[in-house]
Amino acid sequence: MAAYTLRRLWQFVPTLAGVILLVFFLFNWVGGDPAYLLAGKIPNPETVANIRKQLGVDEPYAVQLWIFLKQVLHGDFGVSWSTNEAVSNIFATRLGPSLTVLVPLLLISTILSMAAAMLVAYVRGSLTDRAVMIACTVGQSISILVYILVFQYVLAYELGWFPVQGWGVTFRDNLLRYSALAIIVGVAVSLAPDIRLYRTFFLDEINQDYVRTARAKGMSEPRVMWVHVLRNAAIPIVTNVLLQLPGLLAGAFLIERFFGIPGIGREVILAVERSDFPIIKAVTVYVAVATMAVNLLADLLYKAIDPRVQLK
Amino acid sequence: MWPFARTAALIALIAAQAAWAQEKILRVTFQAAETGFDPVRIHDYYSGTVVEAIYDTLLTYDYLARPSKLVPSAAVAMPDVSSDGRTYTFHIRKGIYFTDDPAFKGARRELTAQDFAYSIRRFFDPKNRSPYAFLFTGKIVGLDELAAKAKAGAQFDYDVPVAGLQMPDRYTLVIRLKEPDRNFNYVLAFPNTAAVAREVIEAYGEESSAHPVGTGPFYLKRYVRSSKIVLAANRGYRGMTWNFDPGDNERFKQIAERMRGKRLPAIDGVEVSIMEETQSRWLAFQRGETDIEYQLWEVAPTYMTDDGKLKPEFVRRGIQLDRTVDPEITYLYFNMLDKVGDAPNPVGGFSKERIALRRAIAMSYNIDDQIRIIRKGQAVRAQYPIPPGVTGHDPKYVSLIPYDPRAANALLERYGYKKGPDGYRRQPDGSPLVIRYASSPTERDRQFDELFQRGMDAIGVRVEIQKDRFPELLKMEKQCRLMLRHAAWIADWPDGDNFMQLLYGPNIHESNNACYQSAEFDRRYKKSLTLPDGPERDRLYHEMTRLMEVDTVWLLADSRIRNSLQQPYVVGFTKHPVLHAEWLYLDLEPKPAP
Repeated sequence: MAAYTLRRLWQFVPTLAGVILLVFFLFNWVGGDPAYLLAGKIPNPETVANIRKQLGVDEPYAVQLWIFLKQVLHGDFGVSWSTNEAVSNIFATRLGPSLTVLVPLLLISTILSMAAAMLVAYVRGSLTDRAVMIACTVGQSISILVYILVFQYVLAYELGWFPVQGWGVTFRDNLLRYSALAIIVGVAVSLAPDIRLYRTFFLDEINQDYVRTARAKGMSEPRVMWVHVLRNAAIPIVTNVLLQLPGLLAGAFLIERFFGIPGIGREVILAVERSDFPIIKAVTVYVAVATMAVNLLADLLYKAIDPRVQLK
Repeated sequence: MWPFARTAALIALIAAQAAWAQEKILRVTFQAAETGFDPVRIHDYYSGTVVEAIYDTLLTYDYLARPSKLVPSAAVAMPDVSSDGRTYTFHIRKGIYFTDDPAFKGARRELTAQDFAYSIRRFFDPKNRSPYAFLFTGKIVGLDELAAKAKAGAQFDYDVPVAGLQMPDRYTLVIRLKEPDRNFNYVLAFPNTAAVAREVIEAYGEESSAHPVGTGPFYLKRYVRSSKIVLAANRGYRGMTWNFDPGDNERFKQIAERMRGKRLPAIDGVEVSIMEETQSRWLAFQRGETDIEYQLWEVAPTYMTDDGKLKPEFVRRGIQLDRTVDPEITYLYFNMLDKVGDAPNPVGGFSKERIALRRAIAMSYNIDDQIRIIRKGQAVRAQYPIPPGVTGHDPKYVSLIPYDPRAANALLERYGYKKGPDGYRRQPDGSPLVIRYASSPTERDRQFDELFQRGMDAIGVRVEIQKDRFPELLKMEKQCRLMLRHAAWIADWPDGDNFMQLLYGPNIHESNNACYQSAEFDRRYKKSLTLPDGPERDRLYHEMTRLMEVDTVWLLADSRIRNSLQQPYVVGFTKHPVLHAEWLYLDLEPKPAP
């Protein structure tokens, strides 16, 4: 296992190098010149030249790329071009709000969708199964924006169960008061695709020989489903959940924007709008590293969940 | 003893809760995130709003005077200006103090002339890459030379004497200009020119944007970047009594009746939430989670009637509406150069054919549709380059360029832009005619694209929509590499010059987006700089506008209306055309129990 882990860690290097090159060239190709944006209403050429010098974007590409590489190695991406805030501080302060929403969201949606998926897989072909699948197809076809607008309007505005948006001071306040609606929306959005996906995982397992054997030996249905099927179906489910996390951190911007959550996703969008390359660089590298790490973790978890799995 | 202590604690708790309940905290929103609060480094409206609330400038604006009128702020009086118009002498009020900060090491720190001089110097420090350095560039004797040395690689010297910035005593600031500048007082009312304390800037360095320490009516109490900005009233503020002249304006009279004599700031603080999404702002306001909302034009038809009044259901709830036209213009500009980059520019130049083409394009674009569809009725047609509320505006002026696609077609026919077999017009020499209209990939710009496309279809002109991200558009615009684009300009100060300079030849690559160079226009503009506001300057502005129309450099489009919705308990608020933060001048009455 140690050798496998080391080999996988070594594979991080070329992958990360590819990500660095891609983000560097994409930004320089389509990212836009930030100097004009930072130069204000009347960007005279002298001001623009000074800003370019201060930001280092007047350096040759090779030098800029070398600086980027050094930043990755040191884990220090400097300061935001538009706010002067240290990128490390941006992550330190925005990660908490994002996780306050995302961790409960993932937990709740995983538990609910696993339960629902197992149920409909168990009654495959029944009216319930078909009804749930139709509902999931419809639910999956609706844009997240619609979920946000409707839930915000009905639950926050009409019923007044939650604040329309906001963020407080204490963790308890943020989790129970301000994140609640965002979590509900997130769960509602992810239920449909997750139920459909997990149902197939359960169906794959239900049709396996070992399940038929267990039933033939007279094992109770709850034991067959909850102990054997669930345990084996859990492997791809765990992979799916873990792989979602890095992307969700940066991708939950709509939820964060509408509900006023000062998280990473919102910061990413701001950075893109402002051509704030230090933040874009840092997010891309962190998400790439997190995705690779999570992939590795998922593989190691396979082994923990199912000892039959061989890591090569 | 124990029961007594418990009772005392309970009473203290109740008293604290009562005090908290009575706190007058104004809750407002920004629709975009701030970037920081260091006056010389910021350039966005929202950061400027907070800066205005935290810091003091030498001059400011009378809250109710229209057109806007400058009044002293940290200065005792308006400056003494020398007879040659080059020397401005300001006397700073004594006894103005910065809010406490560890950078002052426990001492009370008084505002002095030195602070303003230091703050002006900071615009020229290359390290600050100030977007508003242009306010002072080329104006103050000795300052540009100091900046040049720093740009050459030397450390910017804040201690070397500068001939144009002198402090004969602790409270007197003498500014010497290279040339007379009639707008210089406006510059000193700009929030970015507010005074900062050198100790604070040096103590916090690059982080000074997040540690604003000023002498203004509020101080920063809590700050969650891009999310929440909580300001508290500065109890050490020199204060002022609400005593503004409402003039003949009925709404202002009502405000004056309720506010006169109040000690300012009358509120205890301001809580700003960053809410980018319109639905969130609108629902939050309706739920009573915010007190003032003036960024809701997208949903204006939901709460307003067609004649610009609040719908009855909102009137019944006591919601108040304050409607003002922003001191801005939006316009469609044509690149006037013969080439765009290396390629020929079919809309550029001054030949009759090119003027005819520009005129036809301008005549086929329906501004009324823009106001009705895109602005949701919340804008007024702009006829003159100087918008309402700005000195020099002429409400009677009527543009020479009407909306008339039929006449536009006839004009194109007359000047040789004949339709080809594909139904699109060709250039007089028979070559294809393609107009490249630039816009960003946003939903709002997509609406402009469709409207423009519709106008061009009506006259048979082929259009290519050039999509680029905003920073790239900005860059190309300043390099005169865009053919055609919608642009907007909001007043930095309420004087016509701030708008007429947009067409001045030497401002190409800066604010003159059309890259327009006309000797006749420039000659008049230069003369206008020497004149005070009055009939002679107005006449020049008229002539300049007619020249612009004859050359068809711009199609003036609209000025947006700002609808400020307020909860029933907000007293004294009206949107000032130039001031960003009116929080100093208003009050909150007790809110009704939920």
